[in-house]
Amino acid sequence: MMTTTDSKIESKAVPLTQLVRGQTGRIECTQAHPDDCSMLRAMGLHPNASVQMCRLGEPCIISLSGACRIGLAKDIASRVMVHIDE
Amino acid sequence: MTTPMPMPTDSISSSHTIAVLGNPNVGKTTLFNRIAGIRAKTSNFPGTTQEARIARVKLKAGGQTIESLLIDLPGIYSLNLDLSESKVCVDVLDGTAAPAGEEANIPDVLLVVIDATNLMRNLTIVGETLGRRLPTVVAVNMVDVARRRSIHVDQAKLSECLGCPVVMCSARSGEGVDELAAKLCQAKVPTRSAPTDIDGIERWAQDIYEVVSASPNPIKEDTLTDRLDRAFTHPILGVLSFAAIMTALFWMIFKLAAYPMDWIDLWFGSVGGYVGSHIPPGPIHDLMVDGVIAGVGGTVIFLPQICLLFFLLALLEGTGYLARAAFVIDRALRPFGMSGHAFVPLLSSHACAIPGIMAARAIPDRRDRLATILVAPFMSCTARIPVYILLTSILFPDRPLYQAYAFTMCYAIGILAGLFTSLLFRRTILRGKSRPMALELPSYRIPDLKSALLLTLDRGMIFLKKAGTMILAISIVLWWLNAYPKAGPTDEAIALRTQAESFVEIDQTQADELYAKADSLDTRNAAANSMLGKLGTTFQPIFAPLGYDRQLTVGVLASFAAREVFVSTMAVQVAGSDDVDDDSVLESIANATNDDGSRIFTYGTSWSLLFFYVLASLCLPTLVVTAKEAGGWKWAFLQLGWMSTLAYVSALAAYQFILAAGGS
Repeated sequence: MMTTTDSKIESKAVPLTQLVRGQTGRIECTQAHPDDCSMLRAMGLHPNASVQMCRLGEPCIISLSGACRIGLAKDIASRVMVHIDE
Repeated sequence: MTTPMPMPTDSISSSHTIAVLGNPNVGKTTLFNRIAGIRAKTSNFPGTTQEARIARVKLKAGGQTIESLLIDLPGIYSLNLDLSESKVCVDVLDGTAAPAGEEANIPDVLLVVIDATNLMRNLTIVGETLGRRLPTVVAVNMVDVARRRSIHVDQAKLSECLGCPVVMCSARSGEGVDELAAKLCQAKVPTRSAPTDIDGIERWAQDIYEVVSASPNPIKEDTLTDRLDRAFTHPILGVLSFAAIMTALFWMIFKLAAYPMDWIDLWFGSVGGYVGSHIPPGPIHDLMVDGVIAGVGGTVIFLPQICLLFFLLALLEGTGYLARAAFVIDRALRPFGMSGHAFVPLLSSHACAIPGIMAARAIPDRRDRLATILVAPFMSCTARIPVYILLTSILFPDRPLYQAYAFTMCYAIGILAGLFTSLLFRRTILRGKSRPMALELPSYRIPDLKSALLLTLDRGMIFLKKAGTMILAISIVLWWLNAYPKAGPTDEAIALRTQAESFVEIDQTQADELYAKADSLDTRNAAANSMLGKLGTTFQPIFAPLGYDRQLTVGVLASFAAREVFVSTMAVQVAGSDDVDDDSVLESIANATNDDGSRIFTYGTSWSLLFFYVLASLCLPTLVVTAKEAGGWKWAFLQLGWMSTLAYVSALAAYQFILAAGGS
């Protein structure tokens, strides 16, 4: 499944794993198994959601809008495309 | 003043139902426990692996009293996910499913619990439930935590946006719970609704969030959580802290459980003595003492370990650590085809495979779940411990350090066999990549003691129920097979008794010894001629290459019902008594001889038995639970077949290797 909010932003989108610690961004889309996409979206990783990288590596830990933390295996984190905040 | 009052489960018959739902980690169960108290019980949804806590409560508000059935549904992120917990919630809301023993009806009230510190995501599930057009109340939980983080939620505006009552509460402190009970009594169908498509609901949630919530911007970085997370998920530090925490957990389980286990043992011993002295000798006496009391007592003795395991795991889960540990384990398990979700099931299996297999329900991917269920019985459960103790003490008498090494080795062999099994199955019948982990990491907090105690009480009752039904039945059948048909005294025993009679007046000690020898001969003869004994003679050729004689074969066969009966079966056969706590009885098992006078427990047979008991699937209840949880008897038979093959081949290899190396 792939969800897109804006084709202009998509060109700048990078995998979540490219964020450095402390860096923030907005989710563009998730390119994974449809079941994983639905699950991540329900957990709050929906298009335009604000994320902050807390820990890089395996697992990758992100903070969602400062409200909750999600641990992601590197494999799935690399499939979440984000637009890095300036 | 409004008071939610728990009431006896069977005292009312009410069709008024309140379904409690919400995201995981929002304190939904803590709030449920706060309202329901000790009266709650766990109930399954028939035909599924999901369970819910239910309680009948009396809600009082002003002059009105409503008697309700409160159902705590599984925590879900969305009603629309293809997961069994989401499907169960949808079925309950549709009125097509209900916990076992309850009538399936569309709930009269929905109580949606949301987290004040994570409002935007939680509003999504509120939006999904508003579309149901059922009387709804929204409880905004954890207001105390929100206050500490300077997060403000406008209760009036939120209530206006949702078109239903909103109550600010803290399940931990009890704040707002009385008001919640009042609102539940007066709940009405919401005056507003949310969009039905996912994009629309997300926009709707975002819009409401911006209207009702105010939080410091930018949100302060949580440096302590960051540091703890980095430590607990670090490749080296994470593994070390995991090892330290697990060691402490098991140390507490084994150390602290030892005392209540001794008390239970003593209690059953005195009950057996009391019953034995009040029932005249005969079949009823034997059935009660050797079958019912010995069988149930031998199982209930593990109750303290099981309760402690669940209590400590609940506390650990309450701290937020377990989600981090799952990621540490994920790294270790992934090369073998399992995911970090398997951590809690495999850990629980070290107490008993049954709760371990049941805990595998939480694993979202079907193949991951099946692999975990098939692997769980390889973990050394507490029922194996008496057998390990017997065999390691026979192998290394008076050398406790070597005994400890052998004991640890048994656990390691079980884990390695489990990893190998998972690897094999994931490359063959369960082919496919393990789903990558995505897990919410709840905030670190002090665990809720009351919730942990209630869960422990519930799990303990489930275990006792099992001991009182299934295990009781197995014990009676085993006793019957071992006791019948009754054999008369042997000629040799008659001769010994005659000889003893002539000694009575000359040397009482010698006479007693002769009587005891005659009794032992009769017991051995009865065991050989009983149905279980004849089964042993029939099946002995199969176990002969492993070095087992008829008596060991009987011990192994009896263990297929439950492995812990091995020690008492051996005691009954070789010593004519099942009082295995007596050291001299353990010694007599260790020194027991064959019909030809050679020792039963040689170096070779002891190692062979040790391998066999680590790896064999010797537990009927585990197979029943595997069939139920995996979705068919084929999985239980696969588990039995594979474990038995692995156990047989390993035991054979160990015995033949020792023989070839010149051992006995």
